[in-house]
Amino acid sequence: MPIHSIPADIFLPIGGVELSTLPQQLVDGLLLGFIYALIALGYTMVYGVLKLINFAHGEVFMIGAYCALFTSWALGYIPNNTLGAGQWWMLIVMLVASMVGCGLLGMTIERFAYRPLRNQPRIASLITAIGLSLLLQYGGQIFLPLNQNIDSKINPAAGAFTIALGGGKSVDTATLKHTLEEKQAAFEEYLKRTKADPFNLDADGKKIRSEAQAAERDLKNAADTGKGTTLVIPYGKVIAMIATIFLMMGLTYLVMYTKRGRAMRAVSHDFDAASLMGINVNSIVTFTFLLGSVMAGAGAMMVATFYAGAKIDTFFGMVFGVKAFVAAVLGGIGNIPGAVLGGLLMGLTEGLVSWLGFTAYKDAVAFVVLIVVLLLRPGGLLGSAKVEKV
Amino acid sequence: MKGFWPVRLGSIGLAIAAAFLIDQLSKGNDFTQRLVVLAALYVTLAVSLNLINGITGQFSMGHAAFYMVGAYTAAISTLFHPELAAKNPLLWLFGMIIFGMVTAGIAGLLVGVPSLRLRGDYLAIVTLGFGEIVRIVANNVKFDTKGGSYGFSVDVHVTAVWLAWLFAFSAIAICRNLLSTARGLTFLAVREDETASLAMGVNVTQTKVTAFVIGAALAGGAGAILAHFEGFASSNMFTMDVSFIIVTMVVLGGTGSITGAVVAAVLLFFVPEKMRDLPDMPIGGITAFFILTGLAVAALRYVSQHYHGAASRKAMIYSGVVIGSVIVAAILGAALNAIPAVKLVPLVEGAKLRLVVFAVTLIVLMLLRPQGIFGKSEFSWDWFRRLGKKQEVATS
Repeated sequence: MPIHSIPADIFLPIGGVELSTLPQQLVDGLLLGFIYALIALGYTMVYGVLKLINFAHGEVFMIGAYCALFTSWALGYIPNNTLGAGQWWMLIVMLVASMVGCGLLGMTIERFAYRPLRNQPRIASLITAIGLSLLLQYGGQIFLPLNQNIDSKINPAAGAFTIALGGGKSVDTATLKHTLEEKQAAFEEYLKRTKADPFNLDADGKKIRSEAQAAERDLKNAADTGKGTTLVIPYGKVIAMIATIFLMMGLTYLVMYTKRGRAMRAVSHDFDAASLMGINVNSIVTFTFLLGSVMAGAGAMMVATFYAGAKIDTFFGMVFGVKAFVAAVLGGIGNIPGAVLGGLLMGLTEGLVSWLGFTAYKDAVAFVVLIVVLLLRPGGLLGSAKVEKV
Repeated sequence: MKGFWPVRLGSIGLAIAAAFLIDQLSKGNDFTQRLVVLAALYVTLAVSLNLINGITGQFSMGHAAFYMVGAYTAAISTLFHPELAAKNPLLWLFGMIIFGMVTAGIAGLLVGVPSLRLRGDYLAIVTLGFGEIVRIVANNVKFDTKGGSYGFSVDVHVTAVWLAWLFAFSAIAICRNLLSTARGLTFLAVREDETASLAMGVNVTQTKVTAFVIGAALAGGAGAILAHFEGFASSNMFTMDVSFIIVTMVVLGGTGSITGAVVAAVLLFFVPEKMRDLPDMPIGGITAFFILTGLAVAALRYVSQHYHGAASRKAMIYSGVVIGSVIVAAILGAALNAIPAVKLVPLVEGAKLRLVVFAVTLIVLMLLRPQGIFGKSEFSWDWFRRLGKKQEVATS
């Protein structure tokens, strides 16, 4: 069955909720979910190895966005530049720069903040993590430029896939357009005649203006109805998704099929026994932090470059960090496939919540999901719940 | 029980006298009054969180939510009954404190029940999440025409600095006296070993929930006072940062020590308040401060792990390291500021450093003294007695 033969009725609004925007929201959510999954991997791997919630991971992500920003500046895309579209190698340079920057930061944090506390109660590390997160957020405000944008021109693949899902109705737009032109002309003529200030109209003027506005609205609505349901997917987000999938495949290879990966799994299984078996536990922990931070750096570069309107400031990582953390717990913290599943589910949930019109509650919903998961299935969807009883 | 009642009545009298003394001393200056009241509220919050975090060992990070529940309860009730509030403001304020305590206590019950299934960092996350949920919901709910996401304004009829301090003293007394009862000891037992205390017949469930309810109720009372003192309650006043600040206070003082919570609350409230008045600073100096803090911490850690001499010599080395790093920081800062490129960077507002101080305090403290200033010990008059007989203690 070809796509365009989907009956129009299924995309009509039900109970005030516009069904026609659902596919777009779900696709957007899914694409965002890949980014969440990428960040969630960092949380989950560190938790797997050290049993520590790395609260500073969101801030590593934030620094990654700044690395990408500074690289884009170094490539000439400073604010108000006059350059044309960027090149592919520029994106790769930015990606590598933020991955390297984040990797270094992650290793530094591990070496100087977490390693000295490894023999202390876990709460001590948790509090240090909170402290680091606050330090990077507020200390960063002193040293870093705030409210910056990466110039979207650096992305060579501008534009978007547009997929029509059908559901359009034929509407006579010609008449509506004619009405609109008439009303607009009437309004302009009125302005000319009375020399009124367009920002301070009297009752007559307001009436003419509102008629013109109503005609404009009618035309726009008719155009929307005529278009039916379309999916708009920017190329950039698709690139981000593909890159994410490749990174995850690389990670899977590293963890499952290399010697170092096997050592990592051993450490995660039993820290002490692994060290007795001759595994250099410290180097494995550092390696884990490196991997997790590199993933966060890649995610940060992609969000900062491909997601329009992503303003970079020192709180950039907070929302993403929280969502990714929820994703990691949702999938079962310490479980790598779980983190990916959790990330995608978080993205979809967010799409659904936005679609239902509760955009303002988006961040609260993440926590509600978290609490429900922890109460009903403390080990997460793919994890195994351990009962801590002697 | 010799001298039980004289001591008890004496302490109550002393607390009331101290509260009124603070009231009298702060009178006349609105700014001082505000600081003094907020300090009292933070003391209450730190002490009440200490009951949950320190004494019962349930790591909670959403204390701002209970504070907020109390403040919103008081603000909304006052909004709907302005005539009652105006008729007898002091009685109304008392009523609101009780009401705020009740609603926040119910919220504490809601959070306390899940805590039965979760431990450690999971509990921390759930409480953090609860705090955020409450704040985001309050931020978005439309409440009639009288307020909502912009907050509620409350008519202030009475300024009772003494009440805030009396409430803080009561919170301290509740926690302290609780610990000297048989029931209070179960809190400590749950903190030390849940399984063992379960085996000894302690009702772990009940103990945890009780701790949450009492802690939340005290925070709710503080919230009610806040709403009536500021004349305003909005969700922006209760962000995650507030929860983190309260946690920092408890941890800095020593998780489990009421004395520590009080001292740290006062310290961590007044030091950043004073930092609001800091002059604008050159960026080189701040960088030097960061670098030297790191180096000093490393040096202090090294000394504490590798030097095993007499305590007095160790203290001398410590102070030498601290003084030395301050001097080096000053020189390095001056040198950095002399670089022409650094000179071009605009000065940094001193007030921006406020939360940085919290962060640095937390990290440095965890690295150098994870148990906090007071550890688990409490203030006692024995300290002064011991000071007088220093020689004997040293020899014994």
